[in-house]
Amino acid sequence: MIIRTGTYLDLILLIVLVVASWYYMNKAIRGEKLPMLRKIPAIDAIVEGVGRSIEQDRPVHYAMGASGGQLYSTLVSMTLAGIAMLRYIAKLCARYGARLIVHMPYQAESIPLIEATAREGYLEEGKPEMFRLEDLRYYGQGSLTWTQGVTSSFAQEGVGLNLEVGIFYSDCPISLEMAKIMGGMNVGGTGRWIMVYAFAMMCDYVFLGEEIYAAGAIVSDNPLMLSGIVIEEVGKYFVFLLLAIGIVLAAIGLDVGTLLSM
Amino acid sequence: MSFARRELPTILLTACGVLMLLAFFTPFDAFQTVKGTLTTWTIVISATSTWLGFIYMGYAQYRMLQRNPTLAQKIYFITPFAFFLLFFFVGVSFPGDLSSPQYNWLFQNIYRQVGATIYAIMFFTLASAAYRTFTVASIEAIALLTGGVIYMLRQIPLFPYFAPWLVPLGEWILLVPNVGGGRGAVICAALAALVVGLRTLWGREITLVEV
Repeated sequence: MIIRTGTYLDLILLIVLVVASWYYMNKAIRGEKLPMLRKIPAIDAIVEGVGRSIEQDRPVHYAMGASGGQLYSTLVSMTLAGIAMLRYIAKLCARYGARLIVHMPYQAESIPLIEATAREGYLEEGKPEMFRLEDLRYYGQGSLTWTQGVTSSFAQEGVGLNLEVGIFYSDCPISLEMAKIMGGMNVGGTGRWIMVYAFAMMCDYVFLGEEIYAAGAIVSDNPLMLSGIVIEEVGKYFVFLLLAIGIVLAAIGLDVGTLLSM
Repeated sequence: MSFARRELPTILLTACGVLMLLAFFTPFDAFQTVKGTLTTWTIVISATSTWLGFIYMGYAQYRMLQRNPTLAQKIYFITPFAFFLLFFFVGVSFPGDLSSPQYNWLFQNIYRQVGATIYAIMFFTLASAAYRTFTVASIEAIALLTGGVIYMLRQIPLFPYFAPWLVPLGEWILLVPNVGGGRGAVICAALAALVVGLRTLWGREITLVEV
């Protein structure tokens, strides 16, 4: 057997997504029109938050989570969504003249990527002199030290907009609520469904679950990234199809669980 | 952009990704061995890069002290390094290294206690956020409030005694809408992650290749 038992369905899903990716990415490269995307209110709120920060003379804070720098785990896609958002907020801050403080995750291997992305955001806006290396903050290993560092930064330097997009565990309730208590505007989201509750409760505008990927693609304004959202929709239709087939098979008495684990 | 900065990382990334896929989908031991080796490399890279983080932390603290040379800032500057040196030297100086009684004392009596304090703060922040969330301002907030109140009352022994229907209703909220909605969201997030992965394998993920 070439294929490992129990992975047939995963392989079929992968093939479906590979074909869809090939088709829609080529479409994007050729410059053909992609389906229209609905607006995500939280994206507009980021611009509003940057403006608010400038009016109040407070910095913009950006965080990808205490462990948001994972580059080789199953959550790496969230790190990339966070990086896409970092580029966007760095560009916005450079464009409007707001100070950006980036709270870096404790995975220090992601620091070069974070620094280069933030620096590039300023460069793209033609204001590299505004980039301040000391505003990239590192707090050592562990989410506890990260939480302490972020909240003390809020207290010492103030907070206008607090944008948090990435991988969050129990670190986000404290940082989000502290930003709120100190008069900041919270915008953020995570793909980790178990922590979405904290963002829903504490943020003024929230990216719900997968919306962080869509937001990352929208703010990049790159057709290839935007085509990813359409490819994801194809995956969703495949899941709907599986669901319908499963209902029919279960109704006629077949063991769907065994079929799915083939 | 040069080959070393753009094409080479993409080629390496794609090669590693394809190897990982083969390790997942095929039963051959050779791919499992490669996967194990790559995983070990990531651990080594991660451990080494901690020093990079330390340099960034030191630089940020130093610049903050330069901009604001007050006594408070000096204390903020000295404290993390003092504790870093304390933990580092105690960790490497005594027999048993990180398992020595001296290091364990520091860990149990300083690190864990500070951690427990931070976690305690989390419950206050959650209570504060819950109060704000349950302010009835929209249909969504009413739904959240109703579900939350029913579920909370179910957890308090007195209320199920007077209203036994709270128990099955609370269970239903927990097991049907909560699990259904949660699974839908997890599937969507997983699909989005898959698409990002495929884009990365094809070298089309601009968050990586444009830097």
